[in-house]
Amino acid sequence: MVLVAPQQEQGALWSPSPPTPGSGAFVVEAGRPAPAPSEAGRPAPARDEVLALLRDGSGQRPRFDPGLSGGLRAWLEDAAADLVARRGEDAPPLFLGPRFLWNDPVAAADPVGTAVDPVGTATDPYPTGWVRSCLIRALFAQVVTTGQVDSPLGDALDALRVDPGRSAMARHVDELPGEARSALAASLRIHIENLMNLTPRFAAGWLPRTHDRVAIPLAGGRVVLNGVFDLLVGAPVPGRATLCALGLTTGGRWAQARTALHYLALLETLRSGTPPFRLALLHSAAGRYGVEDVLEEHLRTIVSHVVVQLSTLGDRDA
Amino acid sequence: MPDPPGCEMSKPRQLTRALLEPFGADAAENRASVVEAARRIPRTLADLAVPRPGGGSFRLTDHHVREALGPPDRATPGAPFAWSARTARRALGLAGLRALANGAARSPIDGVTMAVDDAVGAAHRGESAASPMDRWLAGLPPAGRAAVQAGAVTWATRVWCALDWSAFEEPPTIGRDHWWDSPHSSLLALRSRAEVRSIARDQAGSPFSVHLVVVGGPRRTTIRSELSVAAMVEVLCSPRSLPPGRMVGWWPDSGHLVTLEIDQRALDDGVAAVARTLASTGVTPADGEGTIRAAA
Repeated sequence: MVLVAPQQEQGALWSPSPPTPGSGAFVVEAGRPAPAPSEAGRPAPARDEVLALLRDGSGQRPRFDPGLSGGLRAWLEDAAADLVARRGEDAPPLFLGPRFLWNDPVAAADPVGTAVDPVGTATDPYPTGWVRSCLIRALFAQVVTTGQVDSPLGDALDALRVDPGRSAMARHVDELPGEARSALAASLRIHIENLMNLTPRFAAGWLPRTHDRVAIPLAGGRVVLNGVFDLLVGAPVPGRATLCALGLTTGGRWAQARTALHYLALLETLRSGTPPFRLALLHSAAGRYGVEDVLEEHLRTIVSHVVVQLSTLGDRDA
Repeated sequence: MPDPPGCEMSKPRQLTRALLEPFGADAAENRASVVEAARRIPRTLADLAVPRPGGGSFRLTDHHVREALGPPDRATPGAPFAWSARTARRALGLAGLRALANGAARSPIDGVTMAVDDAVGAAHRGESAASPMDRWLAGLPPAGRAAVQAGAVTWATRVWCALDWSAFEEPPTIGRDHWWDSPHSSLLALRSRAEVRSIARDQAGSPFSVHLVVVGGPRRTTIRSELSVAAMVEVLCSPRSLPPGRMVGWWPDSGHLVTLEIDQRALDDGVAAVARTLASTGVTPADGEGTIRAAA
């Protein structure tokens, strides 16, 4: 196993294009933004800016056509029915997370929103990128829940040990050679420092919940679109977009992470009838973040993408 | 796998409507046949629980029904029970919801935090009431405990957001499982699990109990059998309480729900499900004691 040092991590970062002004554009803040200084003269942490962007205009939360969810579902059901016809009625159910939207092995290094999905292989059950992603996501939940992290690697491993699906990964990290373990710990310190700076401290009334899993069965459960929100805040209200979703990317491609967030927004639309109001993407390696509104065109685009990908399955996974 | 009949999409508040919807005129008529069936069922069940090689009792839960009636390839290997973030989240989440419902907490985070603090405090003080889960929580490092707390907060928040709590005519009962012990056979006990219990009325104003069951895992054809067994247990446990009227199974992951009106047919399905579960080789006394799963 080769661990990436923090310096290399920074160098490998993909920098997104500057945002296009206008409705629906992702507001990208590269590196540490410099919001207005606080009263004490210190620059306010980025989390305040993230929170301000999430709250901005929240009094005018958009209403969505109550038929939107049904229309999107019907579109997906048609594609799923075609897929089932190709695979056969007796084929085992297909569980499709956001990674199925692209066939890029790099994507596996950053399973945005699919932390429950295994990405290890028989030859490499614990790829470094996946291990780091799981550790960082565990720390992220801790940051949201308690607002503090004492020892990034130690805390993350303690969190993994109480998860039966991750305890073997914790043992794997425990058994790493000292040098690799130190490098991993150093990497986590960078990520968690950025996350502490980026992650808003949501009041309890915002109802923050981490690792919220969503699974939408299609074709009678033969195809299941699934994913995991790293963080959801807000209470669902019928016909009104009231949720904010925060996603985490730990070093993968920004565009793919954004696509994955749109995919999760689609799944939430199918689950509750309305999409999230706003999305935030936090890049834990670079301290970069972006915030955008969810628009119907995002949902239609991602559904179209899903439908195209479903049309390519069947032969490939046979 | 086709959708089980009775499935429909749940949107926020629709779950409340499905749970509390007034019963039709046939509810009272069903009640008579349900009472009559309830007299026969204990004997029928006792006859099913014949001793097996190895001896021991059968303590059936929805988990056993699901394992026995589901496709063989979906069966999970039996594993000894162990506390984890997954197995503790329901208990802590329910405690948090109870604190919310009775006004002791103002948010799921507050409720779950209180529950965790109470559990750890009870264990540290060595109180006799401290449960194994309390002692397990007390022994965790802070980060491990935070991970458990985060899972419970998410579980509780999903339930909290899914219901219109102002629609209940009285505070619902949250998270009380019912066990029915066969009066005719010491070998048999059945569990009914429900996260929220309340009442709904028929057109004449007569009350019936209604039960919300939070369901985990994928949607499955066994769900009606699982709910039927729970419904049957509610009927068998209820001679001196409200007549059971409805079970609603709800998947937080997808928002889907399944509604089961408790009538003669539901009871027949419940008996049949128990018979098939007992007949399967998947339920042994050892399994029954050791693999009771958390709800979701």
